[in-house]
Amino acid sequence: MRVWSLLVLALLLSVLIGASAGHDWMSPADLLRALAGDTDVRSRLLIDWRLPRVLAAACVGGLLGLGGTVFQGVFRNPLAEPYLLGSAGGAALGATVALLVPLAAPQSFMLPVLAFAGAWGATMLVIGISRVAGAVDAAGMLLAGVAVAAVLGALRSFLMLALSDETVSLQIVLSWVLGGVQTPTWPILGLLAAISIACLMLTLLLAGRLDVLGLGETMAIAFGLNVNRFIAFAVLAGSVVVAAAVAFGGLVAFVGLASPHIARWLVGPLHRPLLPASALVGAIVVTLADAIARSALPPAEIPLGLVTAVAGGPFFILLLARRLRA
Amino acid sequence: MIRTLAFLGVLALAAPLHAEPVTVRDAFDRSVTVPEPPQRIVTIFASNTEMVAALGLADRIVGIEAYTRYPPEVLEKPLVGGRLGFSVDEVVAQRPDLVVVTPSRQAANQLVDPMQRLGIPIVVLLQRNVAEILSNIRLLGRLTGVSERGEELAARLQARLDKVEQRVAHGKKPSVIMITGRLGNGLLLVTRPGTYTGDAIVRAGGHLAFDAGTIAQVSPEAVFNADPDLLLFAGNEKDMKELIGRPGWSDMRAVRSKRVHAVNRAELLIPGPRTIDGIERLANIFHPPAATQ
Repeated sequence: MRVWSLLVLALLLSVLIGASAGHDWMSPADLLRALAGDTDVRSRLLIDWRLPRVLAAACVGGLLGLGGTVFQGVFRNPLAEPYLLGSAGGAALGATVALLVPLAAPQSFMLPVLAFAGAWGATMLVIGISRVAGAVDAAGMLLAGVAVAAVLGALRSFLMLALSDETVSLQIVLSWVLGGVQTPTWPILGLLAAISIACLMLTLLLAGRLDVLGLGETMAIAFGLNVNRFIAFAVLAGSVVVAAAVAFGGLVAFVGLASPHIARWLVGPLHRPLLPASALVGAIVVTLADAIARSALPPAEIPLGLVTAVAGGPFFILLLARRLRA
Repeated sequence: MIRTLAFLGVLALAAPLHAEPVTVRDAFDRSVTVPEPPQRIVTIFASNTEMVAALGLADRIVGIEAYTRYPPEVLEKPLVGGRLGFSVDEVVAQRPDLVVVTPSRQAANQLVDPMQRLGIPIVVLLQRNVAEILSNIRLLGRLTGVSERGEELAARLQARLDKVEQRVAHGKKPSVIMITGRLGNGLLLVTRPGTYTGDAIVRAGGHLAFDAGTIAQVSPEAVFNADPDLLLFAGNEKDMKELIGRPGWSDMRAVRSKRVHAVNRAELLIPGPRTIDGIERLANIFHPPAATQ
């Protein structure tokens, strides 16, 4: 119980830090004044721009934590990450189209929609290919994922070269690919929060069977689990979660990989506590990383994915060292 | 009585009477309204800064981006962005009543939405040809409450353009390639049609050897094949000599006939008032005054 209250407290604290952080740091007094309905432009910046973004960052982090846990559970591999099955490549392609091709609908609408469609579509493609190839097991899916990611990456690079010019900058695409939370309007933030909670529910439905699968495929079959069917279903569920994260946050490196590990240290390997814990860890990590991204190098903003990767790289080495020692 | 009059006088000076709201349509077809002439303007990019300064409003500029180098009087203003992007926080911290951007790098992408939400007027300008530079000057004049100045400046620049047009009208138009950058893999960036720089070359009495194509990167081989009458290099003499000293370049017609020129990047790659200076200089390169008389 103590772990949970600490996690929630840490999340609240990181949201507070996130709301204060920026090129223009705000004090808690500024925050209170803004929340009380002050109409000064600085207060409105806080309420209408910074706060929705901080909360969106928390949601995106939570989704990545959930997605990472599902993928690591399904593939029973500590290196599995949410972008494994082509969703990163698909989302990036969708986002490139939204950012570079003039479309009828406004970009703020098309960007999340196409990123989601790309992420989800790419994973469907991977599962489809592994089915057609008759390799519906984890290894088959991983290989199909690598192949699809290569093709999608090439398509995206070609679009970037062909469609960019003086007015449509490659930097926009590049910085999206490197991750960054889009600032939603309050209603859209509500939608994102609802999606996040729905994703938590969805993945919790998988928890028991993920635990069984963790005993090994033979054991899982002995327990009466239709392994291949469950893997396909869990992967689809996981990729909905990841696609939602990508739609609102771009590609944020390492969070989906690291959060489940940190959560496992805190609450152990069973998925029912692990999933919400991993979501909380992911939310804390992304909220803090986003605060650094927005405040470290004024007047610039560092792409969020770079911050998480710089912090995540050393973490990864730590993980490796622990495993080697064990 | 005198005191009252003085007070009224000060009041009249301090508050321009009956400031009418001004509404314009910008390059994204957005309607932009300023309730009264803006006094605190954030200008993103050298081009927009130069245009506002050319209207005599340099002292109203309260924020620029890191790659603005001209005019000198604005260089000390706070930076609100640079190579890595633009900061909503820094823009808001200047408490601007107008933000001027161009959809280059990530500026429009990062700033239009937040400024709209915060109710800070933000105007987006495009410069696809030289005429748009002049219309941008007029639009900025209207928006900042100095329409006459904007009209005058645009008319002066237009008169200079007309003069160049007359002068080069009858000469033979040389084919031109302008190299604006070099990529690490050996490819070159060249000026394309449909850009203000391409338009500047045409107005100066040249014609683009690459008159089609939308990808700005070409291989040196394509430049050799096009074999233009004239080669322009946007940059300094030293880099230009280094480039044409490479194998293959000495066989080009333009290199053999010494018609390779380094041209000023600021004049031809910043779409502001100085572009007209650049066009005049290009016209002198394409059609040397001595030869046309």
